[in-house]
Amino acid sequence: MPAQSHPLLRLSQITKTFGTIRAVWNLDLEVYPGDFLAIFGPNGAGKTTLLRIIASLTQPTSGRIEFSQKNSSQNRQQVGYVSHQSLLYNELTGFENLLFYARLYGIGNAQDRADEMLAKMGLEQAGDQLVREYSRGMKQRLTLARALLHEPQLLLLDEPYTGLDQHGSRLFTQVLEGLKEEGRTVLLITHNLGEGLALCTRAVIQHRGVLVFQAARQEFEKSEFEKLYFRAVEPGARSQEPGARSQESGVRSQESESRIEKSESRSQNREVGDQRS
Amino acid sequence: MNHITLIWIIAEKDLRIEYRSRQQAFLTTLFFALLILVIFIFAFDPGSRATRDASPGILWVALLFPGVIQLNRSFQTEIEEGTLCGMILSPVDRGVLFLGKLVANWIFLVIIDLLILLAFVIFFNFAFSSQLLWIVLLIVLASVGITGVGTIFAAMVSSIHTREVLLPILLFPILVPIILAALSGTQEILLREQMQSLNRSIQLLVGFDVIFLAAGFLLFEYVVGD
Repeated sequence: MPAQSHPLLRLSQITKTFGTIRAVWNLDLEVYPGDFLAIFGPNGAGKTTLLRIIASLTQPTSGRIEFSQKNSSQNRQQVGYVSHQSLLYNELTGFENLLFYARLYGIGNAQDRADEMLAKMGLEQAGDQLVREYSRGMKQRLTLARALLHEPQLLLLDEPYTGLDQHGSRLFTQVLEGLKEEGRTVLLITHNLGEGLALCTRAVIQHRGVLVFQAARQEFEKSEFEKLYFRAVEPGARSQEPGARSQESGVRSQESESRIEKSESRSQNREVGDQRS
Repeated sequence: MNHITLIWIIAEKDLRIEYRSRQQAFLTTLFFALLILVIFIFAFDPGSRATRDASPGILWVALLFPGVIQLNRSFQTEIEEGTLCGMILSPVDRGVLFLGKLVANWIFLVIIDLLILLAFVIFFNFAFSSQLLWIVLLIVLASVGITGVGTIFAAMVSSIHTREVLLPILLFPILVPIILAALSGTQEILLREQMQSLNRSIQLLVGFDVIFLAAGFLLFEYVVGD
């Protein structure tokens, strides 16, 4: 992460509970301009909830979110969000969808901007087609175009590869690579370790609402991360003795090992502290 | 961009979608209303005094039930593909989003209601006189209140599976003042030669419209907030 810059986004002690369920638990995270952060984790780890909190779609139960700008409507202006759903109107054309959102965001020359984004995503030929006639891949690229319309400082992608075939995935990855080259700040949630690791500059593992691992991409190998990931998210991983782990892991670097254990122990301490209070 | 332009952008989008996807729904809603009128024609003797006395109530039953169907549908599309979320993500004030949805619902409801009124006048053998314009005014005013409350409740129940049943149960008790005012005004117009208390009905409707619009504008943020 670029140490010289201020974080674009800082999450401090974020907790979100739904009744007795802890979706996100005492989570701290800083996102810097130019970061391409991949968040991995099994289903139910609280990744989507985390993204919804950042997008201001859900209020955290406790904790603080600080954007580089303070005003909440400006926060919304800073964020582009791609969710499981397309957020597109099936009965409008691709162009009409982008035009509608461009106007909501108050973009001057909305028509030109919609045309520009269609061209950028390779959809200029399909601009006049109703979205319900789009393939899944086309729809996903249009979704990304919608999220980028207003030039957000932070792009949130929640499992954007869901439902895409291999061709669609490759096209989508090319688009994301383009965004990375442009230096955009991206938070990507994915189950696809290969795609995520190929793109990210920083990787995070979230499990049971807690960030259990966080490191810059150059600090670990892909194979090492895969083992680390499955170890971190396997049932009962947090209750295991640290010693048992180090005996088994010949691949994991000691640095990664200690990082994951520190994260876990921090979260466990917080839980204990919380129970005491 | 000013608020009125934004309200129209949202309403225009809804009307465009309505035109493209729900012409069938429009006709179904209209058919449902006509069916209500026809059932009443068969149930009562069309020329009798009793039918004439009951006609304002029959008209408002035919106007209200199809309206609820439309209100239920207005958020269905927004939920299916998460587009409500897309609008909430934009920096537009949530009260403005509410007014945009409301305007689209209101336009749709008024068009359907005017067609129902036309059918009602024909079926129940009322004369096409200038007095009917007063009923049009009552419909226009009552529709503002109905869509005001209806839009906010439709948003509240939109993610619930039993929304079709839940919406009328929540909506009708709140709408009682509007229904009573509209009914009283319609009785004046259709059954009495002198319309002494019509002004009072209109004033009541305007008052309720203002209250419901203000409440909806202020509460919508909390309804779609989390």
